[in-house]
Amino acid sequence: MTSAGKRRLSAALTYAQYTLVCLVIVMPVAWMLASSFKTSAEVTAYPPRLFFRPTPANYIRLFSTTPFLEYTRNSLIVAGVSTILGLVLAVPAAYAVSWYRITWPATLTLAARMAPGTLFLLPWYIMFSDLGLIGSHWALILTHTVITMPLVLWVMMSFFDSIPREVLESALIDGCSPSSVLMRVAVPLVRPGIVVSTILAFVFAWNYFLFALVLSGFSSKTLPVAAFNFIGEGATNWGGLMAAAVLIALPPLILAFCVQRWLVHGLTFGAVKG
Amino acid sequence: MAHARDNAPGAGGAYWMLIPAVAFTLLLIGLPFLYTIYLSLHQFVFGKDAVFNAGRNYLLMLQDRLFWNGLWVTLLLYGISLTLQMLFGLYLGMLLDRSVRGRGALRTILISPFVMPSVVVGMMWLVILDPSIGAANYVLESLGLPRSTWLASPLLVVPTIALIDTWQWTPFVALIILGGMQVLPIEPYEAASIDGAKRWQTFRYITLPLLRPAMITAATLRSVDLLRFFDTIYITTQGGPSNASTTLNIYAFRVGFEFFDIGYASAQMITLLAIVFGAVMAFAQLRRHAL
Repeated sequence: MTSAGKRRLSAALTYAQYTLVCLVIVMPVAWMLASSFKTSAEVTAYPPRLFFRPTPANYIRLFSTTPFLEYTRNSLIVAGVSTILGLVLAVPAAYAVSWYRITWPATLTLAARMAPGTLFLLPWYIMFSDLGLIGSHWALILTHTVITMPLVLWVMMSFFDSIPREVLESALIDGCSPSSVLMRVAVPLVRPGIVVSTILAFVFAWNYFLFALVLSGFSSKTLPVAAFNFIGEGATNWGGLMAAAVLIALPPLILAFCVQRWLVHGLTFGAVKG
Repeated sequence: MAHARDNAPGAGGAYWMLIPAVAFTLLLIGLPFLYTIYLSLHQFVFGKDAVFNAGRNYLLMLQDRLFWNGLWVTLLLYGISLTLQMLFGLYLGMLLDRSVRGRGALRTILISPFVMPSVVVGMMWLVILDPSIGAANYVLESLGLPRSTWLASPLLVVPTIALIDTWQWTPFVALIILGGMQVLPIEPYEAASIDGAKRWQTFRYITLPLLRPAMITAATLRSVDLLRFFDTIYITTQGGPSNASTTLNIYAFRVGFEFFDIGYASAQMITLLAIVFGAVMAFAQLRRHAL
């Protein structure tokens, strides 16, 4: 075989494997999406229907028969405020760790990444009961900040590391206080990092299930917990279940696609670039 | 600190920047951690004072059949999942390293499983794997294979959950491996091609050893998540059928929040943390030898 022919064959083999991998990943998600547009008769039909007339009925019923909007609002409050709180706590800390090379605070936050979430839940439950915060948004916001704060810290650390030291040194020599160097010089230079860590923190807080499972109350229930309760209530309503699943998955999917270059970096706590 | 001060002007300003984050960590992670250790040494019921019982919770654990069951399920799930994810992750990472058009699109698709909430992944597979109406059984039947009960089978539930987790997290492992592939030095490959090495020899004796740091990173991160596996199990089976998928974390959660035996649950969680910590330390040791 000529070398051009060999190259074409190897490209064809690569594409065949790409297609296979895509199918394995996309098929289940596509099936979920399709099921969400089926009537209850079609979704339980066996053999499963590949072709059907799509109907938005499951989505309409989701909003008319369940407080889905309220759950969405709760999820937005919890993920949003815990992201802001994570930024406020972690951006100055990341700057200090990066600039002054004091690493122990960063290592300390890694403990949160290692311990099982259930370990903190018992003491949190007791603490928040004593404070009367069980079922409030604050119990959820504070506990989800345990997810967002270390994430922001580790992502921001590598962004601050990339600022040339001379830039900050000259600002300090010009007589700027450390806080104004942070706010006026460093933060504007790492704006992309702020965007990336905001998005990542929001996605992970939005997705997190365990803390809200125990600490949320009737009026602070987040979407993942509400969806989990749907499984128990609506074992026969697969279509509605899939409609809820699609809506909950959409925001993290869209946001993650925007920062995909940084996703693995964030998830590995800076251990891997790209 | 003197050293840091010499290098960086204005080190005094560092502390106020660190205090909020450190205080938050101590308050929400440090304090609860110490409290859990305290609880693990006590008999504790809501509304009553804790009674010190000198390690009896830990002794109880050693005699508890369900604790050993939980440990076995945890390790089985860990072994199957980690093996599958590392193997497929290595394959997929190397596949992604080939420079052909459309690679970017595949990378975009690859991130979707692990950015979806675990609740959504669990619900999705519950529907697909349903024993009576699920699409998975239809696929098996069309291939002439017998139907399966998947998550409802005491024998198959752990492998099935391992498959779900492999679907969700192999792309993550692959992207870490890809990161490692992209910084591989060229020289060893040039030398190998001059020496006339075969492709599998190049892979076995050059690529694999050079990828060890990336593989250890991936394995460490997956180990932390797999050893404290909770979400997907709680969402799909709640540990059933008949405790066949009750991992240590699920069991400790149920002891704490369903049976309200807080002291005993705390002892289990401390034990689980020790296991996770041990695994992380073991991988850190491996990494030191790899470098």
